Amino acid sequence: MNTPQFNFDFIRNSNIWTTLENDHNLQANLFSFLIHFLLFIFMIFSVQWQTKIPNYAEVELWDAVPTQIKNKQIKKEPKKMKKIKNIKAKPPKVTKEQLKINEEAEIKLKKKKAAEKKALARKKKLQEIKKLQAKLLKQEKIERLQDKVLEQEKLDQIKDKLFEQEKVDKLQDSIRDEELVKKPRLAIEADKELLAGINSGELDRFKALIQQKIQQNVNNQLCGLDRVELEFEISLMPTGDLLGEPKMTQSSKIASCDAAVERAILQSQPLPIPKDNKLFKRLKDLKLKFHPNGHYDL
Amino acid sequence: MIFRIYSLLFGILLLISTPIHSLEVIEILGGKASEIPIAIVPFEDSVGISGQKAHQIISKDLDRTGLFRPLNTRGISRPPSSDININYTKWSAMDAQFIVVGKVESENRNKRSIEITWSLIDIFKERTVVTMRYIGKKKQYRAIAHKVSDYVYEHLTGSKGVFHTKIAYVKKINDKKYSLNISDFDGFNSKAILNSTQPIISPRWSPDGKKIAYVSFEKKKPVIYVQNLKTGKRTLLANFKGNNSAPAWSPDSKKLAIVLTYNKNSQIYIINSDGSGIKQLMRSNSINTEPSWAPNGEDIYFSSNRGGSPQIYKINITNDDITRITFEGKYNLSPSLSYDGKLLLFLIQDQGKFKVAIQNLISNQVLKLTKGPADESPIFAPNGHLVLFTYKDYGKTTKIGTVSINGLKRVPIKVGNAIIQEPTWGPITIN
Amino acid sequence: MKKSLLLLSIAGLFIAGCSTTPMDAPGDPSSNYYGQDDPSTDSISSESLGLDELRSNTLLTQRSVFFDFNKYDIKPEYSDLIGAHAQYLNDHSAARMIIKGHADYRGSHEYNLALGQKRSVAVKEALNSLGVSDSQIETISYGEEYANQECQAEACGQDRRADITYEVE
Repeated sequence: MNTPQFNFDFIRNSNIWTTLENDHNLQANLFSFLIHFLLFIFMIFSVQWQTKIPNYAEVELWDAVPTQIKNKQIKKEPKKMKKIKNIKAKPPKVTKEQLKINEEAEIKLKKKKAAEKKALARKKKLQEIKKLQAKLLKQEKIERLQDKVLEQEKLDQIKDKLFEQEKVDKLQDSIRDEELVKKPRLAIEADKELLAGINSGELDRFKALIQQKIQQNVNNQLCGLDRVELEFEISLMPTGDLLGEPKMTQSSKIASCDAAVERAILQSQPLPIPKDNKLFKRLKDLKLKFHPNGHYDL
Repeated sequence: MIFRIYSLLFGILLLISTPIHSLEVIEILGGKASEIPIAIVPFEDSVGISGQKAHQIISKDLDRTGLFRPLNTRGISRPPSSDININYTKWSAMDAQFIVVGKVESENRNKRSIEITWSLIDIFKERTVVTMRYIGKKKQYRAIAHKVSDYVYEHLTGSKGVFHTKIAYVKKINDKKYSLNISDFDGFNSKAILNSTQPIISPRWSPDGKKIAYVSFEKKKPVIYVQNLKTGKRTLLANFKGNNSAPAWSPDSKKLAIVLTYNKNSQIYIINSDGSGIKQLMRSNSINTEPSWAPNGEDIYFSSNRGGSPQIYKINITNDDITRITFEGKYNLSPSLSYDGKLLLFLIQDQGKFKVAIQNLISNQVLKLTKGPADESPIFAPNGHLVLFTYKDYGKTTKIGTVSINGLKRVPIKVGNAIIQEPTWGPITIN
Repeated sequence: MKKSLLLLSIAGLFIAGCSTTPMDAPGDPSSNYYGQDDPSTDSISSESLGLDELRSNTLLTQRSVFFDFNKYDIKPEYSDLIGAHAQYLNDHSAARMIIKGHADYRGSHEYNLALGQKRSVAVKEALNSLGVSDSQIETISYGEEYANQECQAEACGQDRRADITYEVE
């Protein structure tokens, strides 16, 4: 009889993480727990709900036609409702999706045999990360959640984007992973240095890069002839993609101009982002001020 | 897998962590004129429409404006005909920012009627902007397609669309055969409202859309008629001694500025639309002609050679103050005002070539919209964002075309083989 | 042979006697006047109008004054021509002249109408200065409407002109 030996080496080297990797059920359950936990938190603490009501369809009376036509209303349900339903339905679906993705992951693992050493190092770092995360979570960040307006859709977008990243080039994945691993470790040290004079030349350079990239996409033909101003606030992910949607804090009073500027921001993803975490933290939340029709000091 | 969990957790970290410092500000000045890439998907057609299809009409409409870049949607496998199950990734990969889908069906009760249901979809935001249904006779198919263009244009640019409007122009078949024609703005459905053996020039559509004033040489000298479009009847507005020409409607369609010569040089007068109450606006020894009424009803722009060679001036009707408007170039003619009074269209002679130019009346910046060498008759569309003008095709036959006010798109209007000139644009009509 | 030659020569004479400008339909432009000067079209004997003189005098058969681009000043080479017509009008008070101004196709139709008008007025004023009164002259303009649309810019000189025509010929 071979009872499975409880090997401490097993724990030290791989323990929960490997188990997680291999035990799909546990994965799924943990994942679903996470989602529910997050949902719970957000449900309690998120305050504002933006209600976006898309245009309803209409029927036009074609008055050139002699015969009278009765109007038929085509009503579109606000998309919001659909999304909420989808989220609730998701947990059982996750399992099937997970299976699919995991099949792909397995294939990838086989290909990664050469990178075994890196995997070991990664796991060590992940351990540290786990400790750091626990530490940070314990701090009082919950009350600041109330300030952040995040809808269900944003969460979906984040998840979708993260899932999408699976399909990206293998090399890009490993590079990004290394970056992600570096940052939390630096985070503790960076905290103190954050407010100190960081290399501001670098900061300005990235600001200029971001400014140039977005400016190229601002189709100012849609902003009339007069001087107008707009302001948007955005949050960025380390990839340069936006976190959530741009938030307009000042409108130009011209609908087509507001839409064109928002499109310009969306079109400019991924924005040029410094790899240095200290710098990134300075840039991850931005206020963008637009003057599409020219100078503001006239 | 592990990285996925980790990424998610890190993502959450980002969400819940707050910036300890205030937001960095980035100022973004100006922008770049570009065209919105839009895919007009071939409409599903269970009726069997002959001739140009809706997606072609809409694409050509939007293309003329210089604000849209209609993408090639030919050969798309299983084109969507409604906003259900849109593959946003695929459209995004095609660089489309918006798509238009639709279907044409027979209307239930009347076999000669059709029903067109269409949707405008935002690919960035992954949502339907609007879904609409139009019902009309089969022969109104083009008109319905133009309505879709109008809606899409208006929604994305904030300006009214002009794709449903009409234009009028003079057609010269030979030295003894002239006609004044009205057609859709894109040249389709043309019909003559006047036939003559003598020249017709300067047709001008009244802002209320009901009449066209024009100059006819049928009496062997230029005289002005006003023709009622509904009844087809016309009245002789001005047949004074000498020339009678250059009619220009006031914004309320009640008066016209005209040019008379009375045995002397061309001068501008104001007359009521029924031919009564003639009043001289200015006295001078120079040529004063081509009046164009500003939308404020107070100023009249005109061309004059009082400074030596023709330039554009404006006169205030109340206090008779005259101000010079154009300073670029030595030979400027044919002023035409946009409906909001902010832009001036005119003909400029640039290095010997006649081109269409546009001037911003606030900044006084001038932009040449066409290349010449013999362009003429620049006329604003009623939304002020498109221009109608004539040009010489291969140096010989005169044709009409549109140019966008950013100068990016010049497209001919095809109305047959004759000499086409002296266009005018009808008003926006709200159905 | 001889007969046909004779016929031909007679026909030739008639053709030579015809006016060259296309718009010489007699009597037409005088309809519906609102203005003060009403030209009288009562029966006037051709003798009092000196129509023979009109047809045979070389200077009087010349009817066109030509101009440079965008210009309406009368060049000195036309002074004799204008003098001859002024003389004719002064001698025959019943004669009525219509001066028709033209321009080449470059520029806008309306501006060219005004330019043509300037040209015909320039001829009128030259006649005025030789004692002819306005009651005997009418000025109209056709602008570019009968101009050659295919000539090359400077070569359109034929179109930049004022034509002298007489009401009754």
